[in-house]
Amino acid sequence: MTSCDQLVSTICELLPVVLKREVSGADAGTALLDALGLNSTTGLELVLELEERLGLEISVEDLGRDDFATVGSLAAYVADHLLADA
Amino acid sequence: MTSLFAVSDHLPSGRVPIEALAGELGLTPMQVRIFRRYHGLGEVSRDEGGSLLDLLRGAVAGLAALRGREHLVRYVLHARSFPTVVPYPHDPVRELCAELGLDAGVPVFSVGHHACASGLLAIDAAGRLLAADGGPGALALVLAGEKAFTPEAAAVPGSSFFGEGAGACLVSASGGRDRVLSYAVDLRGEFDTVADCAESESEFQRIYGEALAAVVRAAVERAGLSLERVTAVLPHNVNRVAWHQVCRVLGYPRERVVLDHVPTVGHVFCADHFLNHRTARQRGLLRPGEPYVMAAAGAGRGATFAAMVLQH
Repeated sequence: MTSCDQLVSTICELLPVVLKREVSGADAGTALLDALGLNSTTGLELVLELEERLGLEISVEDLGRDDFATVGSLAAYVADHLLADA
Repeated sequence: MTSLFAVSDHLPSGRVPIEALAGELGLTPMQVRIFRRYHGLGEVSRDEGGSLLDLLRGAVAGLAALRGREHLVRYVLHARSFPTVVPYPHDPVRELCAELGLDAGVPVFSVGHHACASGLLAIDAAGRLLAADGGPGALALVLAGEKAFTPEAAAVPGSSFFGEGAGACLVSASGGRDRVLSYAVDLRGEFDTVADCAESESEFQRIYGEALAAVVRAAVERAGLSLERVTAVLPHNVNRVAWHQVCRVLGYPRERVVLDHVPTVGHVFCADHFLNHRTARQRGLLRPGEPYVMAAAGAGRGATFAAMVLQH
């Protein structure tokens, strides 16, 4: 079972990987698009990197722009859309 | 009232996986993975060694209704996503007209600047031209389809891959088949710099789903209908996720949006609607007397969101 807190923590670890720069102090409330400058491509990279890190597949069928509002909203989406092992 | 007298399409048999195009388009493995997983794209149609004339000829070959009515064709319009579709001095549309035995004096021209929504503009323009001076029984031949012959014409960065194919239809100013009930267009000149400016591109992505949904809603209202009555939406084949977003905004069931060709054919420029028309007929989504929608977003120099309601 992957909790939302664990997902928030893993997303924060992956942010520097997809943004290719240091990201300090990120937490569930950090705005991905506005504050960090994530765009649609890097946002999707983040989701796919997360899949690899978790070893689980995430259903991206319903993934919308709103889900990328904050680290917490993305973690909530992922928690609700985890599929079988990747 | 403008109507589609006959509709046809042509897809070549060649298919290329998007991974094979990554090198020439400078895409990373991650970007290709996103296209496949998220956008739902997989293969694109290609007519290796074939010309644009071959594609257009293939589409017109399916227009059985044209045979014996060549003398009734008053206009020929080629709807284009890109302003330049063949190297100078080739002119495949005029070559095709000659092959078909159309009157040499028939005006032949291209319709563009609505990018991938230019096919809908061409249908609307053809109907209005015929209504103005077509005469009894007059027809316009509307063509769509392009070659993915430059990197720019092979992919839409971050959104789609183009597939080669073509569509054709005969438009009349009146008639009982596939009557155009309404046409709505939202031209957004402020996105003129999408290709050059990250800020503009981000804003375009942000408004894309809402703007496309809004123009669909506007066309349906203009036709005096409610969205519940629309039996199918024939989209442009840009990708799966963009249309899922539009469905969410509209509250429209995604299974009635004809996205069947996105994973296996790609975005066939302005010809998607003709291709999807055949598929919708085959799937039983178009029913006599019932309305359906053709809609597209076009991004080039400026953005266009367009929707047309037709009655089958």
